Amino acid sequence: MKLRKDLKYGIKQTDKELLLNWYKLMRLGRTIDDRAPNYLKQSIGWSYHAPYAGHDGIQLAIGQVFEKQKDHLYPYYRDMLTVISAGMTAEEIILNGISKATDPSSGGRHMSNHFAKPEWNIHNVSSCTGNHAQHAVGTARAMKYYKGGGVVISSQGESSVSEGYVYEAINGSSSEQLPVIFVFQDNGYGISVPKKEQTANRKVADNFSGFKNLRIFYCNGKDVFDSMNVMYEAKQWVLENQKPAIVHANCVRIHSHSNSDRHELYRDQAELTYVAEYDPLAKYRRMLLRYERATEEELTAIDEEVKAIVKEAHKRALVAPDPDPKSIFDFVTPEPYVSTTYPTGLHSYNGTPLKLVEALNQTLRAEFRRNPDTFLWGQDVANKDKGGVFNVTKNMQKEFGRERVFNAPIAEDYIVGTANGMSRYSDTIRVVIEGAEFADYFWPAMEQLVDTSHDYWRSNGKFSPNITIRLASGGYIGGGLYHSQNIEGALITLPGIRIVYPSFADDAAGLLRTAIRSRGITLFLEPKALYNDPKAATPVPDDFEVPFGVARIRRPGTDLTVLTYGNTTHLCLDAAQQLEQQYQVSAEVIDLRSLMPLDYNTILQSVKKTGKVVIVHEDKVIGGVGGEIAAFIIENAFEYLDAPIMRVGSTFTPVGFNPILEKAILPDTEKIFNKMLELWKY
Amino acid sequence: MNTTALIYSFKSNKSAQVAEKIKELWNGEIILLDADDLTVEKFMPFKNYILSVPTWFDGELPKSWDEFVPALEDLNLKGKLFAIYGNGDQVNYSENFADAVGIMADLLEFLGGKIVGYTSLEGYSFEKSKAQRGSQFCGLVLDFENQAKQNNERIVRWVEQLKKEFQ
Repeated sequence: MKLRKDLKYGIKQTDKELLLNWYKLMRLGRTIDDRAPNYLKQSIGWSYHAPYAGHDGIQLAIGQVFEKQKDHLYPYYRDMLTVISAGMTAEEIILNGISKATDPSSGGRHMSNHFAKPEWNIHNVSSCTGNHAQHAVGTARAMKYYKGGGVVISSQGESSVSEGYVYEAINGSSSEQLPVIFVFQDNGYGISVPKKEQTANRKVADNFSGFKNLRIFYCNGKDVFDSMNVMYEAKQWVLENQKPAIVHANCVRIHSHSNSDRHELYRDQAELTYVAEYDPLAKYRRMLLRYERATEEELTAIDEEVKAIVKEAHKRALVAPDPDPKSIFDFVTPEPYVSTTYPTGLHSYNGTPLKLVEALNQTLRAEFRRNPDTFLWGQDVANKDKGGVFNVTKNMQKEFGRERVFNAPIAEDYIVGTANGMSRYSDTIRVVIEGAEFADYFWPAMEQLVDTSHDYWRSNGKFSPNITIRLASGGYIGGGLYHSQNIEGALITLPGIRIVYPSFADDAAGLLRTAIRSRGITLFLEPKALYNDPKAATPVPDDFEVPFGVARIRRPGTDLTVLTYGNTTHLCLDAAQQLEQQYQVSAEVIDLRSLMPLDYNTILQSVKKTGKVVIVHEDKVIGGVGGEIAAFIIENAFEYLDAPIMRVGSTFTPVGFNPILEKAILPDTEKIFNKMLELWKY
Repeated sequence: MNTTALIYSFKSNKSAQVAEKIKELWNGEIILLDADDLTVEKFMPFKNYILSVPTWFDGELPKSWDEFVPALEDLNLKGKLFAIYGNGDQVNYSENFADAVGIMADLLEFLGGKIVGYTSLEGYSFEKSKAQRGSQFCGLVLDFENQAKQNNERIVRWVEQLKKEFQ
């Protein structure tokens, strides 16, 4: 039996200076934790505050074992003492609480009580509780690959383990064997919901007891020494074994969940007395005195010192600058890679045409040869001679190895979430993911995609997820609801994501190169019906680049403008040719290539020339990109229009599987031709 | 029989009720000590002990004993007899039912003490308990939440057993 006195940390054996420093940190944290609601009462801010009282032991321990700039830490919204213990100052905490421009987490952009200091690897995390578990796994993957020598610590409440993405994270860390510690701070409640209504096991860590390569540690999160010993042991184990661990810390929640919750509505007085009885700070103070490791005078002096620190921090934070409203457009999307060789995204190369799929494969391989900090994963992307369902990544694993090109589990959210996390390890890393086998299967990743889309803005430009998300998109293959639909209309509403959708091999290669070299997120939609279609094959210069937001006039014309992208570009070109042959009407067909950002200039120039516009896309007319483009034209070129703006797209239905249904739903050359004719005759 | 120390938290409710009952049933000399105010000097003079060790939270020692453990660890308890009773909840805390009884028993035994007052598991239904030793609990386990009506009978039987086992 191992006695407490034989462990690394204990009331008798721990150095007095360290004991008093812990007391100071705990007193500092609790003083701010107790004062935080006052800021809201005085209408100063901190409208979201989740008090940590009752979690003191484990939070102190997490912060103490964390080595800044070597380890990575993902605290959750209740982790105030964690970050104080890791070194953040009282002033930094209050700056975050009252959302000042100098808040190191987000400059007042993110919710209060979401503490971060990215320069120390204390990450800015979402309020979707527990979703950073996936980021932690991605960071741990990079930590292992680059032999960083540290660990990644992901902290969350026990109820957030109910989230499916947390399961995905722990499963992935177990199969990939990554150096990450998941800390579950178990206070028994998810807001007002008792933990028995979250999962059957009282200790949710037990749900993972069957996971291979994973070790589970338990501790009393209310007790400083037990928490310190277990966190220390867990870190040593993870470092030595390069495998993941869970630390399940039993805590109590002394106060309500947050300042919008009233726990007296669902907890009786007996329970509140019971948890208050085990106040970890009061216990620690008693222990210091009982075992004569500190005197009352010494502790009182620290109490007074902390009061003065917090008072001074409060004064300084109050006069700190507020965020400038003019700054709202800063850091929405990072500046992209700028092409000096092909600034207009055009070329005159006349070599042998490549199919679209060949162009993508060659570009990926060229970029991976050029930049060793590139990685690719997704479902089904690498097994012997197979490289994705359409073989876009064929032979990449053979050439670049399993550490850079590998299969992901069937967990779309995990694919995106770990891309986010891996990006956090270093800004030089570029990740390419196949977000799902088909774009229609990408919806489970929405949680991570949405979160990742605002990371750059939310962190006030301190973190840019540098990810190219490839998705085989669109119909005309008889794939039905899960293989033939489009998703760009829904996703273009998310600020922070670039969306490109090429129609030809050269543009696909050029846009992919630009995406991989750029910082930020690019949703790269590939018209799968065109992968091997000779219509989309073109000569492709080896170094071709297409800037974002630059359209390409695929067919010049004078009588009407056709704005399109992806599969329908080819249908529009066919329809334009028929129109010319049958009616001598000259239609200008513009391949937008890039939907976000959009080439407003080329659109306006064409509209001013023709006065008539039809917008064609495969996605639904209702809610499709065409609606935004039409609104833009009306606002900016209304006086040049000689006819209403017309649109052609899918019906407001899912795409049916039977080819008869698909044909009735998707645009085709005939529908486009008829609309162009109607427009011309108007 | 030597003087017996009965140690429980004077601030407690259920543990104190049990202590009162034990005191009432005890024939010999018994000294009541407050677990919240325990020192080595107060603890050591006895040979026979009855300790109240209810389980807190998900299988933890109560505050009073938890804070005394660092002092306890330095003691030699050889020759001393310990009987432990503890409250638990076999329905809501079925995975760690009365764990604290077992945690305390382990420590006392390691320090040289002898545990007496084992009781049968019969009549209880739970998943796991650190208080379980084979087909017995290493003490008296009471469940106020679910089997309060059986408390009296269980206490009476246990006290009679202790009278025989204590020296």
